[in-house]
Amino acid sequence: MIDEQPRLITLENISKAYDDVTVLNNINLYIRKKEFVTLLGPSGCGKTTTLRIIGGFETPDAGRVIFDDMDVTGLPPYKRRVNTVFQKYALFPHLNVRDNIAFGLKIKKTPKTEIDRKVDKMLDLVNLQGFQKRSVDSLSGGQQQRIAIARALVNEPEVLLLDEPLGALDLKLRKEMQIELKNMQQRLGITFLYVTHDQEEALTMSDTIVVMRNGEILQIGKPKQIYDEPKNAYVANFIGESNIFRGKMLQDELVEFCNNKFICVDSGFGENVPVDVVIRPEDIIIVGEDVGQITGTVKSVLFKGVHFEMIIDAGHSTWKVHSTTMQPEGSRVGLSVVPFNIHIMKPMQDGWYPYQEKEVTAND
Amino acid sequence: MKIVKRVYLGLILLFLYVPILVMIILSFNGGRSWAQWGGFSFQPYADLFANKRVLNPLIVTITIAILASLFSTIIGTLAAIGIFSMKRKPQSMMMTLTNIPMTMPDIVTGVSLLLLFIFLNIKRGYITMLLAHITFDVPYVIVSVLPKLKQMNKHSYEAALDLGATPIYSLFHVIIPEIAPGIVTGALLSFTLSIDDFTISYFAASGSNVQNLSTLIYSSARKGIKAELFALSTIMFVVMLVLLILINRTPKSEKAKNA
Repeated sequence: MIDEQPRLITLENISKAYDDVTVLNNINLYIRKKEFVTLLGPSGCGKTTTLRIIGGFETPDAGRVIFDDMDVTGLPPYKRRVNTVFQKYALFPHLNVRDNIAFGLKIKKTPKTEIDRKVDKMLDLVNLQGFQKRSVDSLSGGQQQRIAIARALVNEPEVLLLDEPLGALDLKLRKEMQIELKNMQQRLGITFLYVTHDQEEALTMSDTIVVMRNGEILQIGKPKQIYDEPKNAYVANFIGESNIFRGKMLQDELVEFCNNKFICVDSGFGENVPVDVVIRPEDIIIVGEDVGQITGTVKSVLFKGVHFEMIIDAGHSTWKVHSTTMQPEGSRVGLSVVPFNIHIMKPMQDGWYPYQEKEVTAND
Repeated sequence: MKIVKRVYLGLILLFLYVPILVMIILSFNGGRSWAQWGGFSFQPYADLFANKRVLNPLIVTITIAILASLFSTIIGTLAAIGIFSMKRKPQSMMMTLTNIPMTMPDIVTGVSLLLLFIFLNIKRGYITMLLAHITFDVPYVIVSVLPKLKQMNKHSYEAALDLGATPIYSLFHVIIPEIAPGIVTGALLSFTLSIDDFTISYFAASGSNVQNLSTLIYSSARKGIKAELFALSTIMFVVMLVLLILINRTPKSEKAKNA
């Protein structure tokens, strides 16, 4: 189990600013051996900077990077036991595929026969047998990506850093590569630190997801944990789809929102304190109008393949519901949620809320 | 309209190249007088190669062109890499400083270099001519190399470091191979400029007996024009032509490789 592996990389109180603009604000994070960790967040949240600090391309203004009990904060990239797959691959155009992969081995003065053996093995691994003599310019984006991965992995790094490596690929290829990368990581037993803004990608591949925003870590957890128990409205909104409401915790296990009182399973917030409430669209059950906790009119229906997405207008609030049975547009329905599926969160410190404007108009 | 266009172009080319053409024809003049046609002959060329006074300036011209393009290519390439990695403001300042010497009239560069050599009490001669040539070549190398650096994938250098290369190893095994076409263009350009220079060479070596071909032709022409001067000028013209074709071909073959 991942949880029993020793810690390989630790970031301690890392801060970084460019020209007075704070990019990272006091980041603390550890990565275990063989763990697949994803830094997830919108562009500008500091995820790439965090990766570049671990790679040695940036020096933090404050804080330390610990690698296997050794402080490597000031160590240049070429002395670190990590390798990177860059966003635009950064293959060397003047070298052919073999020499690109062999670049790191040549520096280590590996004998030629050994280099050839390792290059062949890597091309096997990324499924590009026989590409040794090809020029990198003649390869497609997906193939260049695989060569970039092979070029990094051939050096047998303890950690592989990947900076949005699938960003330039089309959807189908991206999905295939996600699975391939995950398999590769498990087979080789290497630690992966993966940067992406794609929440689905993060949920599919990771052992641990680190959600970042504005240079701060909002939540660290397993994919299911982050999905089921988001720490705040931002995480809930960023990961998966959700209904988020402003509410008030009346007492333990009793919350008020959308002008209704709901029984829930959360406690320890205090009495009469403002909270954010998240309910996933698939956790809402459509019942008869007379028995629902909330009643409303079906405003729109979208067919999404596996389920229907219905938007239900309940007067003061709007609900997004996923269900395999369709209710026709304009029909009156009742909505019901079991207490276990009502998730209560502390409001964000800066008051962030996903659809402020809608709420204002709804209260009018 | 089409005819007008063609005639216009023809006239321009005629005005541009007739003097050179006349000179080339006269360089094969077998007659005694340099202005009267006395039949086709290689005599001026024979005279030229027999003339001991030409040999030294020829060696000076070639060795200075080689040394100046070598040094200016090294200095200019390193300068371009330095300028490239600067932040935006100092970068644009450095580029202005690079562009000024290129637009400055040669005579200003020549006189100011002469004044500098006098001020520093350096004896004029071969070395001062070489220094002067390196000076005016460097900006041309910089402007040839810089665009190649800008075309480079910005993570190439980092990727090399990431794979265990030291900054020096990355410079020689990643950066320089990637910008090589720009370096070659810069080297050929400075070689051409150096062979072809008169004004700056004239001032930089003034007062010494070191001459290159341009200054030799100038001083010989003052003593009296002979057909062998035309032969010498024709050879220089052909050499320049070949070099220019080479320079213009480099970027094209590069494009063909990438396509």
